[in-house]
Amino acid sequence: MSQTEKFEFTPDRLALYKEYLTRYDDIDSALLPTLHLAQEQNGWLSDSVVAYISELMGLPSIRIKEVISFYDMLYDQPVGRNIVHVCTNITCSMFGGREIYSGLLKHFETGYLTPTRDGRISIQKMECLGACEQAPCMRVNNDYVGNIDLQSAISKLEELP
Amino acid sequence: MDYKDVANYKNYALLSYHHIPGVHNIEVFERAGGYETMKKCFEMDPEAIKEEVKQSGLRGRGGAGFATGVKWGFFTKDRNAKKYLLCNADESEPGTFKDRFLVEKNPHILIEGMIISAWALGTQKGYIYIRGEFYHQAMVLERALKEAYAKGYLGKNIMGKGFDFDLYVHRGAGAYICGEETALISSLEGQKGQPKLKPPFPAIKGYRGLPTMVNNVESLAAVPWIMRHGAAAYKQWGTEKSPGTKLFSISGDVNKPGVIEVPLSTTLKEIIEIHCGGMRNGNKLKAVIPGGSSSPVLNADDSYAVKMDYEDVAAKGSMLGSGAIIIIDETRNMGDILKYTLEFYHHESCGQCTPCREGTGWLEAIFKRKETGKSSKSDIVLLDKTAASMRGQTICALADAAAMPTQGMIKVFREELEQYVTAAPKK
Amino acid sequence: MTEKVKLTWNGKEIEAPKGSNLLKAALDNGIEVAHYCYHSGLSVAGVCRMCMVEQDGVPRPFPSCNATCGEGMVIRSDTPKIKASVEATLQFHLLNHPLDCPVCDQAGECGLQDYYMKHGQYDSQMIDKKVHKEKVQDIGKNVMLDAERCILCSRCVRFTEEITKTNEMGILNRGDHAEIQCNETLKNDYAQNLVDICPVGALTSKDFRFKQRVWFLEDVHTTCIGCETGCSVKVSENKNGAFRVKPVYDHEVNGHWMCDDGRYIYKHVSSPTRLGGAVENINGLFVPADELNVQAAVKGKKTKYILSTALTIEEYANFFNAVKGKNVEVALYTLPSDGPEFDGILRRGDKNPNLRGAKAAFELAGFDHSQAGLDNLLGSISSSDAVFVVVPEILYNEDHFNTLIKKVEKAGVRIALACGETLGTLRAFNYLLPIPAFLEKNGEILNYQGQARKLRKGMTYGEASKDVSYYGKWVNL
Repeated sequence: MSQTEKFEFTPDRLALYKEYLTRYDDIDSALLPTLHLAQEQNGWLSDSVVAYISELMGLPSIRIKEVISFYDMLYDQPVGRNIVHVCTNITCSMFGGREIYSGLLKHFETGYLTPTRDGRISIQKMECLGACEQAPCMRVNNDYVGNIDLQSAISKLEELP
Repeated sequence: MDYKDVANYKNYALLSYHHIPGVHNIEVFERAGGYETMKKCFEMDPEAIKEEVKQSGLRGRGGAGFATGVKWGFFTKDRNAKKYLLCNADESEPGTFKDRFLVEKNPHILIEGMIISAWALGTQKGYIYIRGEFYHQAMVLERALKEAYAKGYLGKNIMGKGFDFDLYVHRGAGAYICGEETALISSLEGQKGQPKLKPPFPAIKGYRGLPTMVNNVESLAAVPWIMRHGAAAYKQWGTEKSPGTKLFSISGDVNKPGVIEVPLSTTLKEIIEIHCGGMRNGNKLKAVIPGGSSSPVLNADDSYAVKMDYEDVAAKGSMLGSGAIIIIDETRNMGDILKYTLEFYHHESCGQCTPCREGTGWLEAIFKRKETGKSSKSDIVLLDKTAASMRGQTICALADAAAMPTQGMIKVFREELEQYVTAAPKK
Repeated sequence: MTEKVKLTWNGKEIEAPKGSNLLKAALDNGIEVAHYCYHSGLSVAGVCRMCMVEQDGVPRPFPSCNATCGEGMVIRSDTPKIKASVEATLQFHLLNHPLDCPVCDQAGECGLQDYYMKHGQYDSQMIDKKVHKEKVQDIGKNVMLDAERCILCSRCVRFTEEITKTNEMGILNRGDHAEIQCNETLKNDYAQNLVDICPVGALTSKDFRFKQRVWFLEDVHTTCIGCETGCSVKVSENKNGAFRVKPVYDHEVNGHWMCDDGRYIYKHVSSPTRLGGAVENINGLFVPADELNVQAAVKGKKTKYILSTALTIEEYANFFNAVKGKNVEVALYTLPSDGPEFDGILRRGDKNPNLRGAKAAFELAGFDHSQAGLDNLLGSISSSDAVFVVVPEILYNEDHFNTLIKKVEKAGVRIALACGETLGTLRAFNYLLPIPAFLEKNGEILNYQGQARKLRKGMTYGEASKDVSYYGKWVNL
């Protein structure tokens, strides 16, 4: 979705948003779950998403932009349909995590978070994913894939829709 | 996922249910004795529960090791005052994965611990703040919460005690600093996850300006066992200052990395050789990072001599931290390890306090000067000095977390680092 | 009365309200403590880490901005430990700073420069690549942003969040990539305060940029005549002119701030249109005239005066003294409201800075200051009249004033008393006679609270020796 295209929650997501509000004692606290929800729908958090959420929640848009820019898993730029996190922290790097990361970028002819030309995948170098016993590991969308090497990582990503 | 043989730990406190298939289901959990302690606790005076936890000597398992019972003691006793219980499941300290391992198999042990704690503390609402990457674990918890609500263990008038407690999962979105309790609160409040100035402390003025207790997953999950068997039983393990059992996340150059539960003060040698099946490929041990990436490195001798409790690890110049043990063998270059560490803290500094915001980036830049052909041996002196000047200067401990392993590494492996910074850059 | 406590700071005993901000207590007592993020008009951020102190009985240093005053506290900011930490933290502030002082307008009043001279002076070991950020951004309302010079003290963010509640400023990203950003453009009426509170050269005034080096300027502490609030201000000037207006802290009136309108009240003072003497309108051209010729023209005419609301109490008194007992008509021209009565911060819709002083003077002298009085005077104007109109010094509503001028047209001689020939419509007058600008006179005005506010004399740029009372003596010549 482009930067300017108007965004609004689908009815079921709007219902979910309203359910989130019941969990918190103020609207501000529902921001992070709401951003997750919007990103799930839109892929990334464009200016029109920010404008919509700002209006919906009555929060200043600069506050929302600050929050988006702060977290590694919230995207202020278009990303691929599938997000791949490659761990490059201590243990994973000891077992080749960095080589796998650069190997994947090379194989898919892309850069940090830049969607592949077919819009299929964005690869993101990540800090410790909290799965060091399976080093080196990566996250494909929401699934952990452990004990990878470059070849198995490529095969895994090639399966992605 | 390939886990260690958890049945070994069924006689301990935290992983005692882990060998039971399907224990994430509330029915299975309850058949194995789950939630019985909670029911027992509802018959107890909340102050007595606090006292029992205090007596147990349980220390916060997030990394700081502050006594949980003492922290609870700072909390208001006014049961009508609005206040919150937050579970810190943001587990992000590199090398740490124990909380993930605990909750993905056994979410109810945490929920039971939180309900007991909420009853003791008089909190009406709670959130489990779990790091954004742990999506499936968040779903496991959500499902378990639904089960607990259905049983009437959560919500209004729990067990007819006139006590209300609502508990929700709140997902983070990828920021190490949110594991710091006041940053976690900022993040929950819908702000950037930046630590808050202390004082005031969260127990007085926390989430939404109200009294808030933040405890680590492992600390809260230990509460049911302590309340079931008593503080004295808990203290059968460990030392006077480090009682109980602890989860350790072990990764790196061992044959069987994973999560174990052992009494505190178990030797690192035993952990490596018995629990983790020895060194990978039979290689020689070179160093150990004993408590997550922010803890200073131990050399091989100290590693084999150290007992994994708060005081002995400190005596060796490091810290127990979150219990994340990274085993490093002779084939590794310590310069690489430090580089990974420095890049991490640079990436994760929240940017608020100047010494950390600027210092973490500069540490990395100084250490990587060889990439621009401007390095010299004296860079290590500057690195040490710069790290030292970041310590104790900032709102939270992230600057210290970057400085300590830097200085620790220089202390133990200075020559290797000097060679590392002056060696020709890798192609 | 708040309870006071005594504490010592570097051995000096100071007194402060119990529980008040510790850093503020030091600053109020003349103790210099380096700080960037603390501002007593904003919430405490505690992020620059410059104001660290040690306290007897407290194991670790802490920032004084996040502590409160208690009886008997023993505070030190001069220990070797604190000195070393201030030096180190200053070095961290300067690490990614572009050090472009020669082209920076903040030079001379920059917190980085000041503290470097006092606490720094180390040999830089920074040979590494600096983080680059966006420079020279026009963020609206005459404010320029240079993100590279920014030290992320967050004062501007807190200002737009807490004071104007317009939330334009924010800090995006983490770590040393954190960067101040303005969401679209500034839209509040207090934007120039951002320039004032920025401790470095990240936010500068487009109006002041590149015009003067601050060390060539002198400040005159006076009062803003932009509206009836009467904010305490200082005007920076030198022999080449006045260059900017900044607020001066005033507990009772404006606190730390002033509005953007007030920033431009200096413009006419040293403008080339200032009058150096009397001028005569000859076929639409103003040419220097001999004052005696003007007096000759007035002679034999009935004199009528329309005063403005921007004169000082003293000027009104002297004027009425001058016309006392003479056959003269005097009325008061009041500027119409501009915007809401009060914007909730400082700005007031009533643009008559000394309305209260004027009314009191009229009443004391037995003249009618009401609109009816003005209407009577205007209604009776004939060719046998000489009418003196004092041109409001800050004229918000020219159209409104022009309708007044229209009504004066019937007079035989029309004289404007003005600082300068600023308006085209002044061509309706036969003569312009000079009066001093607010920056060229001492005196008092009464603000909306009825509080006497001081105007102070700075340098003189036009003919400023003759005020309205001087022309008041021209009755019945």
